[in-house]
Amino acid sequence: MISLAGRDILHSWGKYAFTGVGLGLLIGVTLSMAGIYRGMVDDGKALLTNSGADLWVVQQDTLGPYAEPSSLRDDLYRSLLGLPDVQRAANVAYLTLQVQIADQEVRVMLVGIRPGEPGEPRYLIAGRPLERAHYEAVADVKTGFRLGDAIQIRRHRYTVVGLTQRMVSASGDPMVFIPLRDAQEVQFLKDNDALRNERVRVLANPVLNRPGVPGLAETLSRSQESSRMVNAVLVQVTPGTDAETVAESIRRWKHLQAYTRPQMEEILIAKLIATSAKQIGVFLVILAIVSAAIVSFIIYTMTLGKLREIAVLKLIGARNRTIAGMILQEALGLGLIGFMVGKTVATLWAPYFPKYVLLEPGDAVRGLFAVLLICAVASIVAIRTALRVDPATAIGG
Amino acid sequence: MSATPASPPAIEVADLRKRYGSGDTAVDALKGVDLSVQPGEVIGLIGPSGSGKSTLLKCLGAVTEPSSGQIVLSGETVYAGGWRNIDPRALRRDRIGFVFQAPYLIPFLDVTDNVALPLLLAGRSNREARQRARELLAALDVDHRAQAAITQLSGGEQQRVAIARALANQPPIILADEPTAPLDSERALAVVRILNRMAQQYRTAIIVVTHDEKIIPTFKRLYHIRDGKTYQEAGEGRDIG
Repeated sequence: MISLAGRDILHSWGKYAFTGVGLGLLIGVTLSMAGIYRGMVDDGKALLTNSGADLWVVQQDTLGPYAEPSSLRDDLYRSLLGLPDVQRAANVAYLTLQVQIADQEVRVMLVGIRPGEPGEPRYLIAGRPLERAHYEAVADVKTGFRLGDAIQIRRHRYTVVGLTQRMVSASGDPMVFIPLRDAQEVQFLKDNDALRNERVRVLANPVLNRPGVPGLAETLSRSQESSRMVNAVLVQVTPGTDAETVAESIRRWKHLQAYTRPQMEEILIAKLIATSAKQIGVFLVILAIVSAAIVSFIIYTMTLGKLREIAVLKLIGARNRTIAGMILQEALGLGLIGFMVGKTVATLWAPYFPKYVLLEPGDAVRGLFAVLLICAVASIVAIRTALRVDPATAIGG
Repeated sequence: MSATPASPPAIEVADLRKRYGSGDTAVDALKGVDLSVQPGEVIGLIGPSGSGKSTLLKCLGAVTEPSSGQIVLSGETVYAGGWRNIDPRALRRDRIGFVFQAPYLIPFLDVTDNVALPLLLAGRSNREARQRARELLAALDVDHRAQAAITQLSGGEQQRVAIARALANQPPIILADEPTAPLDSERALAVVRILNRMAQQYRTAIIVVTHDEKIIPTFKRLYHIRDGKTYQEAGEGRDIG
């Protein structure tokens, strides 16, 4: 038996192809939405992998350092190093802010690290790691910075000495690594006006500036001029050690919160990007409905244009399943063309998205089946219309 | 337009009735139609609008179920108060050919596929169906357009392809509904010539429903249908070559 659907498609291939391209653009947007979600998840995992930590130690009762603010004293890491099975521990500070370069501003996640310790970028694609104690930066290429660029962060200018890749925050902001001490100042140190104001307040406070207790107010003021806080301590455990056991020990004896890698993944993926994921999910559902409506309308219109031929087919003895099969195959063909166009355009325009778009082959396969299912469902109205056609209409009268 | 006396009629219709609706609003479209056509015979079925021509054609074509009566195809009763263990769709596919006022060819199939389609729907192999299609196209002198798209054919060529399609499954009967209506005299007579030739060549009975004054004199036998009843009369049987 010849393929009636195939012949019909070839007969009106122009209309069919243009419709397929239109549908394909819609499918491309759908695949990109799924890719954005996958990219967010992958960014989160990359963030954890690149930090090189087995445990994230943060302020008690917080989900820090990525999902909630967390503050720890910067000498805590020493006591963590004293715990059994803790191989390395390093302070880190995280802060999302606008960084200025020339006349432009870039939103970045600033990361304060100690060179050579957990938290520093694992590899560079250009330049060198941080070596000096101050005013150097290693930036992710997505910032658009180049080696030698001078970037303004708060009061100071930093020179970009290295470039790295795939180092972004959970929300997709590219990272800029600077020495820990600088990051602490950026995050916690108040500006001069605030410091003067605070000093005056302390001196004016009779409780803090009491006669007979010289130096108290002065000491208090000095303590506010320097920052000894960090956001988290990244811990590497001895190879072969169960990270959860060490985490439990930290929770119990140090009164801190310690998260293992799976727990941090849960925080990043299930909590931090949950709202975005739901947002994307709603978009996907809407796009699926719109696609179904479009395919349904197109197939229905194409069927209406063939009612006379369908009546003739029925009159000369075509089975209902032959006619239904023709319409279904045309709908599936439209979906197939749409999917191929959609996959192609999604791949082509993915690099132009500001956020990482990860188009997974598994998602593509699932998308293909979803498109075919939608097309099959969308053809039902047209099939019902075709099957209701009375073969007598071909005779007339 | 001769008949073979020994063989049973290609179609025999007795007291065929069709009522639409029921009660006070019932309409009797056919009130006892009698009709008989021999294999190889071409007859004309004429009558004014609303006389029941289309209803009769639909009943004979197994598109509409009659209310009562009998239809016998090549000696086999296919309808007698109901379809006799036969699927009307299969009846239309295998034992009835249709030619319409307009060719109504399938525009997305080429000429050969249009003719082969009824055979393919009947389950014949692709090779067999195409072979038969080519034979019919040659018999109707359109084999040189076998691979052409329908839109590339002239009106006359399209009508010949439609006749070839009607003959594809070698049906004992072909129902032709106003096949010459849109054609000028010359072309209308050409179509009648073809129908006569095909009827003789393939021993197929052809019932031509027509209003066309140009072709009515060519029939040897005519059935008038008036108020749902048929009246037989001898036609002129004018020789058209």
